[in-house]
Amino acid sequence: MSRIQKVSLLAVIAASSVSLLAVQAAMAQDSPIDKVSTVTDDMLLNPPDGDWLMWRRTYDGWGYSPLDQINKGNVGQLQLAWSWAMTPGGRTQETPLVHDGIIYIQNSTHLIQALDGATGDLIWEYQYSLPDGVPPNGERSKAIYGDTLIVATRDAHIIALDTKTGKLVWDQQVADVKKGWGYSSGPIVANGVIIQGMTSCGNAQPGGCFYTGHDAKTGAELWRLYTIARGDTPEGNSWNGIPLESRHGGSAWITGSYDPDQNLVFAGVGQPYPWPAVLNGLLPKSADPNVTNDALYTNSTLAIDPTTGDLKWYHQYLATDTLDLDYVYERLLIDLPVDGQDTRTVVTTGKLGIIEAVDRTSGEWLWAKETVPQNVVASIDPETGVKTINPEVIPEIGKSTFNCPADPGGRAWQATAYSPRTQALYLPTVEFCSNTTVQPLDPGTIYTGGGRATFARVPVPDSDGNIGQVRAVRLTDLSDMWMYRQHAPVTSSTLPTAGGVVFVGTLDRHFLALDDETGAVLWTSPRLTNSLESFPVTYTANGKQYVAVVANWASGLGRLASLTPDVKLPPNNPAALYVFALPD
Amino acid sequence: MPRSPAPSRLSGLAAAWLLAVPMAAAGLGPAAAQEPEFYDVPYAYEQWIYGRRLDESQLRYCVDRRDPDWEVAGAIADAIAQALLLEPQRHVVETEIVVEDITRVYGVMLEHCDVHMGFKLIPEGYGDWAALTRAYYETGYVFVTTNPDLKSLADLAPGRPIGATGGTSAHIRLMAYLLAQSPDRRWPVYPMGTNDLALDSLLRGTVAVALVWAPSLWARQRADPALAALREIDPRPLPPTRMGVGALILANETFLRAAIDEAIGALAADGTIAGILDGYHFPAKAAP
Repeated sequence: MSRIQKVSLLAVIAASSVSLLAVQAAMAQDSPIDKVSTVTDDMLLNPPDGDWLMWRRTYDGWGYSPLDQINKGNVGQLQLAWSWAMTPGGRTQETPLVHDGIIYIQNSTHLIQALDGATGDLIWEYQYSLPDGVPPNGERSKAIYGDTLIVATRDAHIIALDTKTGKLVWDQQVADVKKGWGYSSGPIVANGVIIQGMTSCGNAQPGGCFYTGHDAKTGAELWRLYTIARGDTPEGNSWNGIPLESRHGGSAWITGSYDPDQNLVFAGVGQPYPWPAVLNGLLPKSADPNVTNDALYTNSTLAIDPTTGDLKWYHQYLATDTLDLDYVYERLLIDLPVDGQDTRTVVTTGKLGIIEAVDRTSGEWLWAKETVPQNVVASIDPETGVKTINPEVIPEIGKSTFNCPADPGGRAWQATAYSPRTQALYLPTVEFCSNTTVQPLDPGTIYTGGGRATFARVPVPDSDGNIGQVRAVRLTDLSDMWMYRQHAPVTSSTLPTAGGVVFVGTLDRHFLALDDETGAVLWTSPRLTNSLESFPVTYTANGKQYVAVVANWASGLGRLASLTPDVKLPPNNPAALYVFALPD
Repeated sequence: MPRSPAPSRLSGLAAAWLLAVPMAAAGLGPAAAQEPEFYDVPYAYEQWIYGRRLDESQLRYCVDRRDPDWEVAGAIADAIAQALLLEPQRHVVETEIVVEDITRVYGVMLEHCDVHMGFKLIPEGYGDWAALTRAYYETGYVFVTTNPDLKSLADLAPGRPIGATGGTSAHIRLMAYLLAQSPDRRWPVYPMGTNDLALDSLLRGTVAVALVWAPSLWARQRADPALAALREIDPRPLPPTRMGVGALILANETFLRAAIDEAIGALAADGTIAGILDGYHFPAKAAP
């Protein structure tokens, strides 16, 4: 151990001792943690307005808050209530959860903490120990169920902590991190079952990723649904004739949504891997008439029975993806008029920035709406949604191709949100393109170059320099309501509220409040410590509304550094939770 | 409401992209892992704690026990240190993680070494943060079979599958060749995640031929004499895929790179490197 490490360790021990004493002293007084109630199934179905109990707050995935203390009329008075430094250096992409005024966060190091949502005081913390060689990065989401906080880890474990004490209740290993498996998002709890998607299913794990269902009391695995189709079925024969051991990808890296009326979870699946189809076995297309190269269930919505793990239906948005253009992101369950009929839809937007709706009772495709400039999809079948791909963008060996959007997508993991107030979907989008080259990225024997293509990202032709946007699209008629544009990418999810504001964070370290009907900027925070690449939430504590967001460079749209070199971020990648409120 | 609004911005963009193709390739960096994490510059956890080291009398180098050539590379690194009149400081990377992204090397080097042995000289294959020394040996990818009737790849009947270590230079070369052939003359190619998985698929009979990195075949046979039946065949009609292997250093270490290049040149010229390779019966030649 180096001298620096020894000194650091002693400092940590000393600080921890002081911290523990302080926490114990605080606990001896009347602590808000004592009032934390058990999270029931009914509570998850109808969360209290002031809570944020799951990734997108409600089962329908809207990411919308019914709180309105902070509204268009007063949001300009918003000020910092408190802040909390998180462990620097890793990537968080954090969604704080809030229950009964307690805010739960996960640091990149997997230090999980409970804070008083009104004051920012630390109540408890639990350090999960990641094995050597696993980079400390956070998880986008977690879940609360019963008396436990349920957290996924980067080494493919799911753990449950007591919400009041932070003590470990159970720890379930789901896969072998040595083969690359790990989690980057947490679970959803549906009908009493924990549903968790596996990610990082690359070179070392033939057969791809999977969703698993777990017993909420023990973590025991109840079922496993593979995201790469297998067997002698039309779906299993959609991999161009290559064997299971050659099929890679299908990462399930975003938390799903839940429709209690149907007892179905709707969850996305990522792309085949490596990206260029000429390298992942999907091209050249087999002459065998019994096989296709659609690569199911990549880039699909899966409708999963959470109790059994049965796949009820699927819809694939983009077959034979060869450009890393996932359709994996959040699924919003919205009842919308379609052809004059009220229709129960599931709405999602892939990296192409095309909003698409599917009937969530049948999987029938309904409609699509383009947003960002794109040249990948030449046309969409108006009946089936099947896309015709522009052949000019398909990567070829020995030739650079030009595609829009670039690989991070016209929208990335930053979630869209829906407001019933305006019936609008709020999308954080970016405009950029890529010169794409199939690249022999085998630099080492162990160390590889990832997806086997390089993407040189460039502005869209005739760009006005405003790479970042927030778009508002009214879903009842698919009309464009407004678009907010700025140079630096919008790097957080959108947070619409009943107060008529939409909160977003940016790469250049601002937190903004926009008018949900016009897009006008109503409030801008001072510059914070880092880019805001996370999922903002709002909640109440002691009856007062707060808005919380984590500042951290998290490799989301901050990766556009080549397009926005003027946006400088601190080198040590600090992370902090900022909580804003109106003055008392 | 229209069920499917037609894509509206395609035609204008289609014309515009023709103008944009030659645009700058700025920001060309390492490709990302499956879950998108895109870096222009790699990031190592707590990288700010690693300051400038003070002892310039050592050559701190890394070898990775997972690399098939790690012992050979270590011997070559020791020789380089000796040639530079430096004390060799070897760090052996010990982990059981099977595959890692190249950007992870950045953190290993910040913490442990100035030189990381065992990287292929691939044009455009590295981000701006890394630089390669000159090659100290050359080796290549090989086609391997258990079928005694196959003398060359040309003997393999169309339709018989090849298990190729996916995304490698040799895999890309094979695919380029096959795409130029008519469908009835092609071999199906099954991409395999690693060299070992490609060899396993050959041993299981899933594929008729495996395309693997020659040092990986050497290491596998060295560890398990029962695999002596695995036999390299002539790559024709393809040319051999041979590559130089050198050491990776951080791009700002220009003086160190020049010194190491000079040392490798001297060690190649005086037969030191060839002697090391011969001593291990390693399937490579000292780079010229």
